[in-house]
Amino acid sequence: MKRNSLIVVIGVLLVIVFAFWLCAFQVRTTEVAVVTTFGKPTRSLNDPGLYFKFPPPVQRVYKFDHRIQSSDFENKFREDLTSDGFTLLTSVYVGWRITEPGIFLQRFPGGIPAVEQQLATLVSTPKSAVIGKHPLSDLVSANPGASQFGKIEDEILASVENQLQTNNYGIKIEFLRFRKIGLPEATTDKVFGRMTEERNKLVSAVQYEGESQAKIIRSDADLRASKILSAAQGAALKIQGEGQTEAAKYLGVFEQNPELASFLFRLTALEDSLKDKSTLIFDQQTEPFTLFKGAVTNSPAK
Amino acid sequence: MERSTRKNGLINFLLLLGVSVVAFAVARITNSVAGQVGSIFLGIGMLVAAVSWFQMRLEENERLERLEFDELTRSKGGSSLFESKDTEGFPAQRSREQFERFFVPAFTVWLLLAEAVGAFLLWRWISKNPLLTDLREPTVGITVFALSALGLFLFGKFSATIARLENHRLLRPGASWLLLGAYLCALVALGIVGVELGYGRMDFYVAEILSGLLGLVALETLINLILEIYRPRVKGKVARPLYESRLVGLLGQPEGLIKTAGQALDYQFGFKVSETWFYRFFEKALAWIVLLQVAALFLSTTMVFIDPGEQALLEHFGRPANAILGPGGHLKWPWPIDKVYRYRTEEIQSFIVGSQPDPALTNQNTILWTVTHAKEENFLVANRDQNASAAATNDVEAVKSTPPVSLLTVSIPVEFQITNVLDWAYKNENATNLLQDLATREVVRYLVSADFMDIMSRERGVAADALRSRIQAAADEHQLGAKIIFVGLQDIHPPQKVAGDYEKVVGAAQTKLANILSAQADDIKTNALAAAAATNIVDVAEGDRTRTEISAWAKAALFTNRIPAYAAAPSIYMEREYLQTFGRATANARKYILLTTNTHDVLQFDLQTKIREDLLEDVTITGKK
Repeated sequence: MKRNSLIVVIGVLLVIVFAFWLCAFQVRTTEVAVVTTFGKPTRSLNDPGLYFKFPPPVQRVYKFDHRIQSSDFENKFREDLTSDGFTLLTSVYVGWRITEPGIFLQRFPGGIPAVEQQLATLVSTPKSAVIGKHPLSDLVSANPGASQFGKIEDEILASVENQLQTNNYGIKIEFLRFRKIGLPEATTDKVFGRMTEERNKLVSAVQYEGESQAKIIRSDADLRASKILSAAQGAALKIQGEGQTEAAKYLGVFEQNPELASFLFRLTALEDSLKDKSTLIFDQQTEPFTLFKGAVTNSPAK
Repeated sequence: MERSTRKNGLINFLLLLGVSVVAFAVARITNSVAGQVGSIFLGIGMLVAAVSWFQMRLEENERLERLEFDELTRSKGGSSLFESKDTEGFPAQRSREQFERFFVPAFTVWLLLAEAVGAFLLWRWISKNPLLTDLREPTVGITVFALSALGLFLFGKFSATIARLENHRLLRPGASWLLLGAYLCALVALGIVGVELGYGRMDFYVAEILSGLLGLVALETLINLILEIYRPRVKGKVARPLYESRLVGLLGQPEGLIKTAGQALDYQFGFKVSETWFYRFFEKALAWIVLLQVAALFLSTTMVFIDPGEQALLEHFGRPANAILGPGGHLKWPWPIDKVYRYRTEEIQSFIVGSQPDPALTNQNTILWTVTHAKEENFLVANRDQNASAAATNDVEAVKSTPPVSLLTVSIPVEFQITNVLDWAYKNENATNLLQDLATREVVRYLVSADFMDIMSRERGVAADALRSRIQAAADEHQLGAKIIFVGLQDIHPPQKVAGDYEKVVGAAQTKLANILSAQADDIKTNALAAAAATNIVDVAEGDRTRTEISAWAKAALFTNRIPAYAAAPSIYMEREYLQTFGRATANARKYILLTTNTHDVLQFDLQTKIREDLLEDVTITGKK
């Protein structure tokens, strides 16, 4: 009996706890809540604290995080066309928060996934439209001053906000930013091809610059060598000339007996001229072959 | 009393029907997978309770028929009209027998199919569900399942006690299903509580346990059916209902297990352990001990211990309690009045923008551009070279076909620390994700305005500093409460597809240097040889000069010395000199001397230079070894 009483007491306590639990709820400082009575929103709660309600199904509580949501609803790349005809892949992310929970609940009964789906649609068109107004250089430019990155983001945001204000969604977009910018695969391959050719060009430039420099160095070396040799040859000629001049001083000696000198010069010339292979034909009149005179002769013809 | 038992059977059936319907509806509303599986479990129990209740009615009708027959027999004094034992005279008995003979086995087979197919389908369905349960209105779920558990438990206990006391076998299956249903509902409620406490897969685990249990019950039903074929039929002995599960009975009334354990202990120790004061005290106080533990668990929520490196936010009924709890012990109101949210504020956290490390390639000791070492992600970078080239060549078509951009593979680790936990927790729904998005955007924005070659080389350090400043500014703008400690640019290079071409440039530079060095070597050689040759020329000239001078001097001296000799005998001297010189000069010359003078022959001289044939004979040319 005592045991049964204990079970009953525990049961009653549990019923009280659960009844309280069904009728009381907390709203965190990060949340806003909407209380519906038989499905109709009757109370919006924006402040944190403990609140009471009738248990379901009479009243239900829908709590929403009212911090800035920055979930990646558009993680996919989408292809857009720039004003100068380049296709560009872009993805953006949006920071938004719930401003009117009652309206939010009615507009998006599916909760945050439904908002993200809606925002993806809302952002897609203005994004394409804004990118289509700008050349690629507004987004990608080596000149930092020419970049319109932030301006394009603001333009897309303004366009999306305009749509949100026209149809009250109960949310506010706090920011919109590009996450990634890329190129379609076909264009990427072309860019790779161009990068390769650029490198090939650079390789050629470097390689032939080297060869050119090598040639210049060699040519310069040849020139300097030539100059050195020319100078040497000049100096040699000068020296030889000086030698000739010096030698000429002794010519006066030969004036003492020009006949003898002339004879000796001719002998020297004769000796010099017969140094290499020579064929000489002599007769008996040439000295010393005059010695053969009368030694050998043909008999007179009879 | 029989009527009361039948009423209990009806209550069991209705209770199981009601609870299973409500549990299924609530499970659908709350999106609890375990709840839906549990409600199907309860539905099967409801069918068993319905059949057992119907069988109770048939037995009751038979009993009334028997009483009526006995009454008539007594009042008519044993008339032969009422002495017939033919069953046709007892339609209620016949109905009961037909029911037990045909319907019960058929129902049990159907039950087996329902349990087996149910277990299989539920297991498949659970496997296809997302891993984390997105519960809606968990409070309602916990409340309904907990209250259902309580209700089923109370009625199940009552029903089981009556079945045991009055030995009513047909009340037992329903009572067992009620008690098991109570435990299952409690388990489902605990699963939802687990999800609420952050163990997101708890609901799935419970669902898996329940579907596994349903499979076991199906197996037991199959075994029961097989054994029923071979069961000896003893007349007068009342059989156990075929659809009654011993497993359900055991799980629904675990105290039977405790009793069996007690008996085993008695047998093992040789004396009645189950009659000792401790065992009896434990048996009596078990409920209080459990309650005490629950109370202790609840009271433990009034204390919180924050780990080193952490800060925690305390909320009182959802409102910030104006207190950031540091490491150490703290007192607070019990859950759910006060709740604590912890954050790792001292830890340096990090994420990577761009190419993510590939776990399969972490063992690489050498990281090369041309070898895959991460899951490559390319970023657009401005290309100043192409613009300049296009401007220089007016090649508009080239620029039109390919955008003036290059691609760069980037892997940038970003390290940060939470500096303002209030901003970090309360300003953004997912601050970590937002910080990653902001960092990615700043990296993209920086790269599209940076020159490819600059950022790859001399601007690398500047870029890291600039990125850190920009990410910090973005984090401050969005009130993230985080400090960017480090932004690294260590893995930034051309995509793998073109990385080899970039390395060729390095090779070309080396070739260029080699060419230049070779030319310089030639330069040194040429000039050194030229200097030597020049010296040689000058030296030769000097030699010539000396020779010319000395020769001239010597010839002059020789001439001077010859004059006296000539003067002494001019003709003789001249002839002697002539003949001496002629002899020397013509010594090596080929000479033809024509001695005949009185002939008119025509002499022909072949002055062609010929190699003698004998010189070419026996000549062997040997190859170079």
